[in-house]
Formats: sequence, structure tokens, C-alpha cells
Amino acid sequence: MTIFQFALKRSFRNKTNLLFLTLFPVGAIFLPASEIWPFLPFGYHYFGVLILFVSIRLASIMLEDRVKGVVKRLAVAPISHLHYLWQNLLAYMVILLFQCALAVGGGVLYGQELYSPFALFCLFVTFSLTSLALALAWISLFRNKETSFLVFMSIVVLIALLGGLIMPIEMMPAVFERLAVIFPTYWLSSGMKWVALGGQTTDILLIHGMLLLYTVCFLIIGSIRKIA
Amino acid sequence: MAKLARPSFYMGLWRIGSLFFLTVLWFIENGTKGTFVLVMLLAIMAALRWRVRLPSWTVLIDLCFCLLFSPFWMGSLYGLALPLVESLWRGRPYYCAPIPFIVFASEAATVHFVVFLLSAALFGAVVRHWQQQRTSFWREIDQERKARYELERLKIDLLQANSETAQMAELTERNRIARDLHDHLGHDLTGALLALQAYEQFQHGEQAEKMFAQVKKRLTRSTKRLRDTVHDMTPVALIGEQTIESITENFTYCPVSYQKSGNMDSVPVYLWSLLIPCLKEALTNVARHSDATKVAVHLDVTETIVRLSIQDNGTCSAQSKDGSGLRNLKIRARAAGGSLSVNRSSGYSIVCVLPIQERKEAR
Repeated sequence: MTIFQFALKRSFRNKTNLLFLTLFPVGAIFLPASEIWPFLPFGYHYFGVLILFVSIRLASIMLEDRVKGVVKRLAVAPISHLHYLWQNLLAYMVILLFQCALAVGGGVLYGQELYSPFALFCLFVTFSLTSLALALAWISLFRNKETSFLVFMSIVVLIALLGGLIMPIEMMPAVFERLAVIFPTYWLSSGMKWVALGGQTTDILLIHGMLLLYTVCFLIIGSIRKIA
Repeated sequence: MAKLARPSFYMGLWRIGSLFFLTVLWFIENGTKGTFVLVMLLAIMAALRWRVRLPSWTVLIDLCFCLLFSPFWMGSLYGLALPLVESLWRGRPYYCAPIPFIVFASEAATVHFVVFLLSAALFGAVVRHWQQQRTSFWREIDQERKARYELERLKIDLLQANSETAQMAELTERNRIARDLHDHLGHDLTGALLALQAYEQFQHGEQAEKMFAQVKKRLTRSTKRLRDTVHDMTPVALIGEQTIESITENFTYCPVSYQKSGNMDSVPVYLWSLLIPCLKEALTNVARHSDATKVAVHLDVTETIVRLSIQDNGTCSAQSKDGSGLRNLKIRARAAGGSLSVNRSSGYSIVCVLPIQERKEAR
């Protein structure tokens, strides 16, 4: 578990990372709620976007490893690429889990209307997995850390918009409304709607299932070992 | 761009293309949210196939996914193209045997659908054939390369064996000369010496005369045998440096100036067998390809190396390449531990440098 511990330490060493990882989730707790839309307080509604940003921030450490030649050195070390990958991902997932718990727990204590905090927590955890896998797949395409981060930011804004996180999906043209299903963010916003308004259990199972399917797909794509 | 020449690249394109097609179909046909799961499942299988080499039977999983979703969305049957192409590409067409039955049993058996599946099958078969051909070509190229390396190895071994044989022949010849001198000359000279010592004792008289005659006879015989032995050893054919001199003298195409320096006897026999063809090749090239009017040949022998330089004043292009004769000589020079270099900057010059330490080691 050396890589796991090291990945945790590295994630907190950077000051910008520290800001992302602690201040923003805490800030999200105190954002007010809207009267009509979104159904959840603003801080929680946009928490998915924050998770996406945090994921790419964390995963870009692995990109840094590739650029600096750490992956090349690991290739000759008595450790498999799979070990390196899962221990890093586990460390990042622990951080994201902690953030989700902090945001949801903090909200409950602060007295925000979260309807079903546990269901919301589960949804955020599943989405964290998806976003981490997406970030992993994304960085496997790039060599430059800055480029990958900047392009990913614009992609995040786009999929957040098309997925119905920034504005209600019902307001969009019918074509975009159907197209939204393709993006993982759509399933997050549906999940949050389900948490707020309630619904059938099969619906939330489908939402979690779809997010997990995205996770598996992106993990497979991102797990390729690229020795640059 | 090397990846463009690989069938696997086009298989990857096909996978992405068919998943995109399925998504578009789902979009056009207003598929439900639940049926989009099929696209995701097929995408996961395709990603797995791209990432690791899955067993061929896994196409049955894709097949089952398509079948499971067909009651909810007829368009899912178009997804059958994926397992169809995969199984054909792997050379396991029997895994897609249920597809015709599924197609004709379902209501989706339109002409478009059948043509779509047939074209997918054709693509799979073509890629499979291409892959097989490519593999067999690579195998053939590898075998050819291996054979070429073995031949080169053999050639070097033979050249080394040649030089070793020459050295062995020289040693054998030296042994024979030593034996001849010992067997014929040695006995007679020893006898003559003993007779001369006896002659000293007798000084005068009949015995002394007899001894003197014997010494004379033995010395005469020894001289004759020595002459015979030397005569036997002297080869009829020209050897070594004499050959070089003779070649330069007999060259009629243009005047050849020949200069030599050093002790020619210190050059081992096997090196002459390399220097002579080198000179012959150079002069042949002059006669056949060059417009030279004079050639200068230098043969320098030092304690450690022998250097043969052939320089002409012809005008040759710097781009001209070495022929097979020169290439062969270069390999032979390398095998002997030396080198052969060609310079085209002013006229045409061949310099062959060979080491002669090995002979000392052989002694």
C-alpha cells in the first residue's frame, strides 16, 4: 500500500489541490437553496461539477508521472501496472468519498433540505467513481497536463450544460433532451431529481447501473499503459 | 502511420463506427432510457476487446445482450453486426451460427437489415483474410532474415577457416622442411664432421686419404641434397609479393607504378590470398569502369600491418556504389581483422589494411 499512501500525500501537498479538496466542499454546504429549480440547494446541485474538476485534478498526478518518466521506472520495478493503477485510484476515491461525506454530513448538520441524505450520498459516491474513471480515460489521451486540464474544463461545462446540471433539461430543445441521455451528467441530474421528488426503486437502480457502466467503460479505456 | 497498415486498427474503427451507428439508431428510433444500456454494454465489450485479448466465445455474450434487448427495442438486432464481425475476424464463424435464425425469426428481417449484416460479414471476412496474409508474410520475412543471418555467419566462419587452414599449411610445410633437413642433410653433415675429426688424428697415410675422400664425398652429397631440398621447396607458381609485381607489370590498360617497402616475408600466406584479389578487383574496375590514365600501387609492410593502396586518376562520381566484388572483399578483410576502405574524393582509391600480429601468435 506504499503507492496508496504516497498518492494521498501527493494529493494534499499541492496548495491548489488542498483548496479544491477541502474549502470548496465546505463552501458548498452554505450555498442557499432555490425556490423552484434546482430541487436541491445550489451547493449540492453543482457538487457534481466540482467532483468532475477534483477528479481531473487528482488524476492529472498520474499524467505527471507519465511525463516525468515515473511510469517508465515503475515498468522495471517489481510492481505491476495494475497495482499502481488501483492503489492510485483507491487513494483518489478515498479523497472523493471523504468530500462527499463532508458535504452531505455538513449539510445535514447545517440543516439543509436534502430529502434523503443517504441516497444523495450514494449517488455522489457512484458519480465520483464515474468521474474518476472519466478523468483517467481522459488523461490517457494527453501528454501535456495543462492542455488536458483546460480541454477537460470546457468539456465538463459542455456536458454539465447538455446533461441538465446547469439548466433544466426540460428547457432545452427536444433533440438535446434526448441527446442528454448519452452523458453521465444526465444520470446524475436524474438521480438528484429522484432524491428530491422520489420515484420507483427501479429508476434509481437504473441510474446507479448506468453510472457504473460508464465507470467500467472509462476504466477499461483509461487502464492502458502508455509509456511516453 | 504504421498503425494504418494493421488490420486491428480498422477493427477498432469498425467497433467505434458500429457503436456510433447504434447510438444514432437509438436516437432516431426514440429508444427508451433503459435500452441505451445495451449500447453501453456493447461499448464495454468493445473496449475490453481493444484493451485485452478476450476469448472468442465472448462474442456469445454480445449476442445474448442483443437478444435480451430485442423485445424492448427492435433496433438492438443491428447490434448483432458486432459479434458477427468479431467471430469472423477471429476465424470462428460457428459462434455466429444463430444469427440467421434470429434474423428470420424476428420481424426485423427487412432487406436493409439483411444487407447490413451481409456487408458486416464481408468486412469481417476481408479483415480476417488480410490479417492471415499479413501474418504469413511476416513469418516468411522472418524466415528469410534468419536464413540470411545464418548464411552470413557461415561465410564468416568459412573465411576464418580459410585463414586457419593457410596457417596450418604453412606450419605443416615448415615441419616438412625441418624433417627433410634433419633426415638428409643432418646425417651427412654429422658424418662429414666425424670423418674430418678422424682425419685430424691420422694426419697422413692411407687411412687419412680414405677419410678425406669420405668427407669430400659426404660434403658433395650434402651440397647436392641441400640444392635438391631448396629446389623442391621453391614453388613453380609465383607467390606473395611476386604475384603482385607480376600483376602490375602485366596490366596493359594504362601504366601502373608499383612501389613497395618493408619486409615482404613477414606477411602471412593467407593475407596474400586477400591482397591479390583486392589488387585484381581494383585493376579490373579501372579497366572496366574508369577513364584513368595512370594507377599507383603502394605496398607497405611494417611489423604490425600490411597496407595495400591502389590509387587512380579517373573521374568517378562520388555517388557510385560498391559492387559485390568490393563488398565481398570488405567482409573478407573484416574477417581477417583488417579493413578495406574506398575513397572517391580525388580519383578512385582503395586502401586495404590488414594486421599481421596473428601470425606471431601462431608461431
